[in-house]
Amino acid sequence: MMEELDLLKKDWKKNENSFEQVSETSIYKMIHKRSSSIVKLILIISILEFILWNVISFFFLGDGYIKKKYGNDIFKYVVEINTVYNVINYIVVACFIYLFYKNYKRISTTTSTKQLMNDILKTRRTVLYYVWFNILFFVFGSLVILYVQLNYDSKYLKIIEKIHQDNSNLLLLKSVGIVLGSLLIIVILIWLFYKLLYGILLRKLNKNYKELEKIDL
Amino acid sequence: MSESLEQSFVKQLKDNQNIIHKICRLYTSGEDAHKDLFQEITIQLWKAFPKFRGESKFSTWAYRVALNTAITLYRKSTRSISTVEYESRSFFISQEDYNSEEEEQLKLMYQAVHQLNDIEKALIFMYLEDKDYTEIAETLGISEVNARVKMNRIKGKLKKILNP
Repeated sequence: MMEELDLLKKDWKKNENSFEQVSETSIYKMIHKRSSSIVKLILIISILEFILWNVISFFFLGDGYIKKKYGNDIFKYVVEINTVYNVINYIVVACFIYLFYKNYKRISTTTSTKQLMNDILKTRRTVLYYVWFNILFFVFGSLVILYVQLNYDSKYLKIIEKIHQDNSNLLLLKSVGIVLGSLLIIVILIWLFYKLLYGILLRKLNKNYKELEKIDL
Repeated sequence: MSESLEQSFVKQLKDNQNIIHKICRLYTSGEDAHKDLFQEITIQLWKAFPKFRGESKFSTWAYRVALNTAITLYRKSTRSISTVEYESRSFFISQEDYNSEEEEQLKLMYQAVHQLNDIEKALIFMYLEDKDYTEIAETLGISEVNARVKMNRIKGKLKKILNP
C-alpha cells in the first residue's frame, strides 16, 4: 500500500504546477460575484415585468375593454389618454431598464470594494425610483381619467348635479371617499407587488453591503 | 486602507492559488465543477479574511478554510455515493517517462481516492501535501492520535478498493 501511495505522491507533486492560473482580475470578479448576480436578477425581472404588462394590456386591455369599462361618453378620450400614457410609460421604463443594465455592467466589472459599495447604493436608488415612478405615474393617470369623467361622463355629471341640488355633503363625502379609497387600495396592491418582486433582492443586496462595510473598516 | 486589504487578499490568493486547485482536483471531477468549487472557496476565504490577522502564514490559514469549505459543500451536495466516472485525462499530463503499468496503477489510485468521503479526502490531501500529523490534526480540528488512526483506516480502505 505504501508503495502505491508514494507513487501517488510523486505524481501529485509532479502535477503541482500544472493548473491553469487564475488572474487577479478574475479573483476580484469572484469576490464581487454575489452582488453582481443579484443585480443581474433585478435586470432580468424588470424586463420580464415589462413584457408581462405589455402582454396583458395587449390581449386584455384593448379598445374593447376600455369601451366596456368607461361607456360611450368618454370612450374616445380614454383611448387617447391611454395611448399617450403608454408611450410615456414605454419611454421611461425603457430608460430604467437601460439604467439597470448599466448598473449590472458596472457591478460585474468593478475591481474595488469602495466602488462596489457605491454601485450597490446606486442600484438600490434606481430600484426605489423605479417603484415610485410606477406608483406615481399610475396615480397621475387615474387622476387624469377622473378629471375627464367628472367633466364628460353623464353618470358622474348626474351625481354632481345631485350634490348641487340637494346640497348634500354626505353624498359628496361618500363619492370622494369611494374614489380615493379605491385608488388607495390599488396603490397599496401595486406597492405590495413591487415589494415582493424587488424587496427580497434588495434585502440580499443590503446584506452584501453590510458585509462589505465590515471588510471596509 | 480598505483598498490595501482587498489588494493584499487578491495578491496572496493569486500566489497561493495552487492550494485551492489541488483541493478542487480531489473533490471534483470535470472542469466546471472544478471552477465552481474554486470560486466558492475564494468567496469563503474572502469572507473569512478580515478575521485572518496574520498570526499564521497565509497558506496555512488558506488550507484550513479551503478544506473546511470543501468538506461542508461536499457534505451538503452529495450524500449519495459518487459514481461519477472519473475523468482521468484531466489529471494526467501524459508523461513520456511513465511506463504503462505505473500509469495504470496511478489511474486506479486516483479512482480509489475519489471514492473516499469528504473527511478522508481531506486527510489524504494533507498527506499528499507532506503535512505532519500535528498540522493535519490542527487543520481538521481533531486530535493527533485521531488523525493517525484515521489515516491508517484510510490506507486500509484504499487497499480494499484496489484489491476487492
